[in-house]
Amino acid sequence: MKRKIMLMSPAVFMLIAFGVVPLFIMFYFSFLSNGPHGSFTLQNYTDFFSKELYLKLTAKTVQLSLSVTLICLLVAYPMAYIMAKIIRKGKGLLLLLIIIPFWTSALVRAYSWVNLLRDGGLLEIFLRNLNLIEGSLGLLFTQTAVIIGLVHIYFPYMVITIFMSLEKLDDAILDAAQSLGATPFTTFRKITLPLSKVGILTGSILVFIPCLGSFVEPRILGGVNGSVIGTIIEDQFFEIYGWNFGAAIAFILLAMVLASMGLAARFNKEG
Amino acid sequence: MKKQGLAWLYAALIFSFLYIPVFVLALMSFNQSRYNTLPFAFSTHWYSLLLANTKLMAAVINSVYIAAITAVICVVLATALVLGLPAGRSRIRSLVNSLVLMPLTIPWLIMGLSLLLLLTELGFSKNLFMLLSGHIIISLPYAVLVIGARLADMDKSIEEAAYSLGANEWTTFYRIVLPNIWPALIAGGFLAFMISFDNFVISYFLIPSGSSTLPIEIYSSIKFGFTPEINAAATIILVVTMAMILLIAALMQSSIKNVFGR
Repeated sequence: MKRKIMLMSPAVFMLIAFGVVPLFIMFYFSFLSNGPHGSFTLQNYTDFFSKELYLKLTAKTVQLSLSVTLICLLVAYPMAYIMAKIIRKGKGLLLLLIIIPFWTSALVRAYSWVNLLRDGGLLEIFLRNLNLIEGSLGLLFTQTAVIIGLVHIYFPYMVITIFMSLEKLDDAILDAAQSLGATPFTTFRKITLPLSKVGILTGSILVFIPCLGSFVEPRILGGVNGSVIGTIIEDQFFEIYGWNFGAAIAFILLAMVLASMGLAARFNKEG
Repeated sequence: MKKQGLAWLYAALIFSFLYIPVFVLALMSFNQSRYNTLPFAFSTHWYSLLLANTKLMAAVINSVYIAAITAVICVVLATALVLGLPAGRSRIRSLVNSLVLMPLTIPWLIMGLSLLLLLTELGFSKNLFMLLSGHIIISLPYAVLVIGARLADMDKSIEEAAYSLGANEWTTFYRIVLPNIWPALIAGGFLAFMISFDNFVISYFLIPSGSSTLPIEIYSSIKFGFTPEINAAATIILVVTMAMILLIAALMQSSIKNVFGR
């Protein structure tokens, strides 16, 4: 037993020293008035909750993350279903094709959309040649561009988790439902959907949480229209040097992350 | 049969969405035009500019060093952790598990910032040690998941047989366990390398002034405006990571699913 604890301890030490302890320091920082040696204050938090700007930004960030999650879910579910239940032969290859972009740099992938979406970019040229649009596309540096980029980046999480839960689903149950006279839609609504709930919830959390904390993609694709909580935190640290206020916002963000995880865990148990 | 056709059509649509932007990026890095406009004229001009850009090349070398050190340390730490983790449903096991998974659930923005605050509180300026620690923390979970999955799949009775035949712990590890889990060690290492190599957020907050990594260079160029040279750099990142994931997939085969399955 002692030897086992010795084996684990370097990794556990790293995780506590550079993962857990810094979070507590951030929490402590968020209650200081000025720099690392300020006095105790609640000002940073009251500032956040009393200014309309920040509340609006929070709402905007949540709305953005929800839209991305919902779009991912709606597009990913059929894909996962296809991989698990329809195209069985090619599913290893399909899974690999989903995983490859999953592991390639989110920064590069967000940037790859700049080429396509910017005015005078390739999508504009393409659509103009088809006579579908006139004038400029006007998509880059909008909320829509941010949503497209984030969906592109986090979509694989959703497909993979739903695929895993659908793959576990026994075909015999589906066959039984069919043979008892259920229509395909009833089978889906009463059996497939409830039994893939865990995958849906896990996938949604895996998309929703990184979206809440994103700041690079909104910067690149949203420009000045891309302000979210993440970009505000970055500004506080690198432009304004309001570290204590930045720490408070970061902690509010963390609280939102933990709350959504708790909520998902609760939904998971209830089923 | 019609169902199959529709299914493939849907899959094709999804894959065009996933792949067209990155293929266009790669293609445009070979286009002569400065503003990425058509018609397309093949040129390796931007790649030669990239190679001649000493600042960017220094950033690439930094990225490789940091990722390599991160990978080696992660593999060692993860292997020790996985071997030390008590079996069954113990309290320690679930505690350690949630500790390992924590960096996967907390946004990197927050992880990076909290490390920056730790530095300030300790009175240090940004340094390579803290940067590496940050990279190790966020890459470690992936290494643990891959190596742990492999170890869980391993037949325990072989290990017990070795013990009962008089092998000590070290011999058993060296002769039995290690040969069994080495593909996972390699795969876990490559995974950690990849996470670290294209990590932007942690590096951005913790990089000592005066140095840089490839993702940081890319980000600042994007902010600065549009340069085809960055298309070339981004294409290199894409090719490197795609090659690595194929390698890992070949090494892990079925086990790669386990990484996502938990």
